[in-house]
Amino acid sequence: MATKLLELKGVSMAFGGLKCVDDLDLHVDEGEIVSAIGPNGAGKTTLFNLVTGVYEPTAGEILFEGESIKGLSPHRITQRGIARTFQTLRLFLNMSVRENVMAAAYGHTKAGVLRSILRTPGMRREEREIRELAEKRLAFFGDRLMGYRWDQPAYSLSYANRRRLEIARATATNPRLLLLDEPAAGMNPKETQEITELISQLRDEGGYTILVIEHDMHVVEGISDRVIALDHGVKIAEGTFEEVATNPRVVEAYLGTGAMERK
Amino acid sequence: MDYDKLFQTIVNAATLGSTYALIALGYTIVYGILKLLNFAHGDVFMVGAYVGLGVLTVFGGAIDPSISIWLVLCLMVLAAMAACAVLGVVIERFAYRPLRDAPRIAPLISALGVSFFLSYSVQLLFGANHRTYDTFNMAGGKLYEPALTIGSFSISWLRVIGIVSAVLLMLALWFLVDRTRTGKAMRATSIDRDAAAMMGIDIDRVIMFAFVLSGALAGAAGVLFALRTDLFPTMGFTPGLFAFTAAVIGGIGSIPGAMLGGFLLGTVEALTVTYVTDWIGIPVGLSNLVIFSLLIVFMLVRPQGILGRPDIKKV
Amino acid sequence: MTEGPRIGKDEWVARSGENIERHRLLNAADRVPGWARLVLFCLFVAAIPLVTDDGYVNVIVFDTLIFCLLAIGLNVVVGWGGLLDLGYIAFFGIGAYTYAILSSDKFDIHLTSPLVMVICVVFGALIGLLVGLPSWRLSGDYLAIVTLFVYQIFISIVTNGNDLFGVDLTGGVNGIANIDPFDLFGRGIPVSHEGIFNSNYIYLALGVFVVVFAALYLVNHSRIGRAWRALREDELAAELMGMPTDWLKLLAFAFGAAVASLTGGLFASLKVGVFPESFSLTLLITVYAMLILGGVGSQTGAVLGAVAVYVFLEALRDPDVSGWVFYIAIVLALLLVIRPRWMVAGVLAATVVFGFVVHALAGAIDDTWTTTASPEADSVTRFLDAWVVIPTSPGDSRTIAYVGLVALVLLATTVKGVWRWLALVPTLYLAAFVWENVMSEQPDVTRFVLLGAMLVGVMVTRPSGLLGERRVEIV
Repeated sequence: MATKLLELKGVSMAFGGLKCVDDLDLHVDEGEIVSAIGPNGAGKTTLFNLVTGVYEPTAGEILFEGESIKGLSPHRITQRGIARTFQTLRLFLNMSVRENVMAAAYGHTKAGVLRSILRTPGMRREEREIRELAEKRLAFFGDRLMGYRWDQPAYSLSYANRRRLEIARATATNPRLLLLDEPAAGMNPKETQEITELISQLRDEGGYTILVIEHDMHVVEGISDRVIALDHGVKIAEGTFEEVATNPRVVEAYLGTGAMERK
Repeated sequence: MDYDKLFQTIVNAATLGSTYALIALGYTIVYGILKLLNFAHGDVFMVGAYVGLGVLTVFGGAIDPSISIWLVLCLMVLAAMAACAVLGVVIERFAYRPLRDAPRIAPLISALGVSFFLSYSVQLLFGANHRTYDTFNMAGGKLYEPALTIGSFSISWLRVIGIVSAVLLMLALWFLVDRTRTGKAMRATSIDRDAAAMMGIDIDRVIMFAFVLSGALAGAAGVLFALRTDLFPTMGFTPGLFAFTAAVIGGIGSIPGAMLGGFLLGTVEALTVTYVTDWIGIPVGLSNLVIFSLLIVFMLVRPQGILGRPDIKKV
Repeated sequence: MTEGPRIGKDEWVARSGENIERHRLLNAADRVPGWARLVLFCLFVAAIPLVTDDGYVNVIVFDTLIFCLLAIGLNVVVGWGGLLDLGYIAFFGIGAYTYAILSSDKFDIHLTSPLVMVICVVFGALIGLLVGLPSWRLSGDYLAIVTLFVYQIFISIVTNGNDLFGVDLTGGVNGIANIDPFDLFGRGIPVSHEGIFNSNYIYLALGVFVVVFAALYLVNHSRIGRAWRALREDELAAELMGMPTDWLKLLAFAFGAAVASLTGGLFASLKVGVFPESFSLTLLITVYAMLILGGVGSQTGAVLGAVAVYVFLEALRDPDVSGWVFYIAIVLALLLVIRPRWMVAGVLAATVVFGFVVHALAGAIDDTWTTTASPEADSVTRFLDAWVVIPTSPGDSRTIAYVGLVALVLLATTVKGVWRWLALVPTLYLAAFVWENVMSEQPDVTRFVLLGAMLVGVMVTRPSGLLGERRVEIV
């Protein structure tokens, strides 16, 4: 019996009169990889913002591991076990690669001001562990972010490497649920292939449950246990990739009315 | 009910309020477009007062001017407006424009530097001693005679001129911002600078126009203010701070907000000085404490001000 | 070995950081580890009272240390926390007045100094926490406004504190005098021996400085410092990566307040009296200038900035030295601005010639327009009198020349190439005129004029400060 790790019940998000998300029900089971698809403006990133606490829903419930996370501040939600990447990268550009990842370990470490000043053995041990954690997470990506790279500033990384770094950083928060916002955006076919494999690896080796927003259907097809399609803030289809891709409402949302008929 | 005191308070409120409103407009116009808190604005106001003094001296002083004192007063205001408009443009061009894409703190620090430079320069050139327009001796004291008398209450010419001039200037501003093309361009730029640029609006000129307006208003306010008090190099600090507060209360970036905030703050100050100190029993000097504490509470409750719009950030 | 750029391999890009040219001096300074820098600084400062008996110099050293402390404290708030605190000096004042109240004849409380210092730190931190709380709801600009209000409240209380509901707490405009000198474990450190400043205070201040500097350094090199850096880079991303940004900002704010408060206590113990005027806006902007010029975010930068600015300000006060400082500063500025560097000599030569010509003309037109130095005056004075036009009664020409100078300087920055060199000649000469006729008469005022100008100049040309690192910003 799969446990529902994340659950949204009747969630709505309205900005003034505009409803970005309308009465949304969705769930992600533990160990699943779920993809959220939909045309631009469908409410996908808003969904991520709601789950991570950037926005507070105007209606509905959001449950993580059975407990409500509605109204919690984002860092608390992250500490509970949800981490994300961003559609437009948001790295700490002037910090080194390693530091970017180390910074994300803050939420599950505890050396305070006094212990930091006095450099207690506990604090020093924790620093070592943070460092090792960061290097381990970066090692996940093979050689690309290893060795001399650790000390390079993040702004010196190529685009694809930046995306990888952002994922590594998110995993350093020791999450149970990973939210990846368009991880393959702007990548060439080879890199896209790598990302597809990587996401599966993240679940298989890392044990993370993953919710992905993606536009590239090859990626979606390659990774998803389940697909959810959104349009104008409403869920219009849910099921396997095959089911959703051929769903008339989904086709209409992407290609307009009459697309099905022309076929 | 002490109607005399009440009437005095109302007149005070209007006088103070009109000055604050003029200066506040300058802060708000610049903030609306550049999102910059122009800390140097209070010192531009001070320069305006000193320019007025210079003009007055050129024409022989308050007691026996070489031309009609009323003409001199007009020239003082106009000269101050012109000089401060130019000053505003120069400051923008050299201290703010290079920092348009720098981190937000950079132009703020630059503004502090300009403020420093202006007030100490004036002190260098004119000394720290208080100067005056010698208003009491103008036109044989005419300015202090009642212009309007309602029953047993009267308002002096000085105050009438002050309030009327300020209101006229505000009307002129409203016209410029609401009815002219440049005004419209200004409003567009303050909503979305990049979009405005893409619509063919010359951002540099619009910003220059904003500084011309804000400088001119500050200059006029400087002369009007100095008619009632002394001039000294740091005279811009307190009115500047109050006016700035007024702009924030009204909603920084909003022109009607600045006017509303100006008169509101003028009223609060007039009331506090006349009444509140008696009620609570604190010395007048501490009234600042009351005012600023209230302001902090207000900021926490409604930081965007009365007429301001809250910032919505897109992630 | 560094490879060249190749397709598909972005190592060269990654190594580009090492290729960025930085000033040779800075690179050398960087290789000295933090600890060594601190020790060197201490040795240097500690040596000064051993080398000179001049009380004036020793007071300057003490004051410089006070400013160093203020600067590194402000650095925590502005540099590490990214908050604009315009009320920072209020905390300095709070610490000073706390010490004054607890260690003087005012209420006849004479607590021992180390205890008072601890109270200053704790009290300062608490007030800092209170004042910093609005940062949870308000964005940068609005927070700056609120801190300014807090400063106003502080000034209001302190200036009118001689009658707070009948209690004389702060002595009002007259402040609190007769403050006890610092006492260490029961032994008082007298402020002066026979009117000469007791240099033990320098060691005291140095000790406090070392402790504070080290403590801040250690906090910055921990997960908290990392979180502060992340917060500055991208606040939202930091929050979403599990860092409690609200609390972190508050912590930075409170730290700065605590340091300022501690410094205030130290300040009060030496100065023997505290007055509202000591905590002016001028002081605030001066500390900001020190931090900005040195480089926001860098403790070393803050200290160097504090030393440089304070020495500059004090040097400009001394009539013998101020002229030298002014002219040398101009030459240095020219060296920074004019390329190629050797052209500076050309510009200077042209200015000298230009000057003599103008001087001759002026003297020919009207005798009172120039002065001739007496033959007993030293060579520098005689040169200046022969070169610069110094009218016997400058009058309005002062204002006109001053405004003209500002206009010319601004013009010189706008034009380029040959035109700039040409424009610089009359500008430099006019600068000399303004200095001799206007500025040198009131050195106390002039130094702040120059500081303000420098602040703007540095911000516009190098927003990261003279010693700060260039940052990549996402706008």
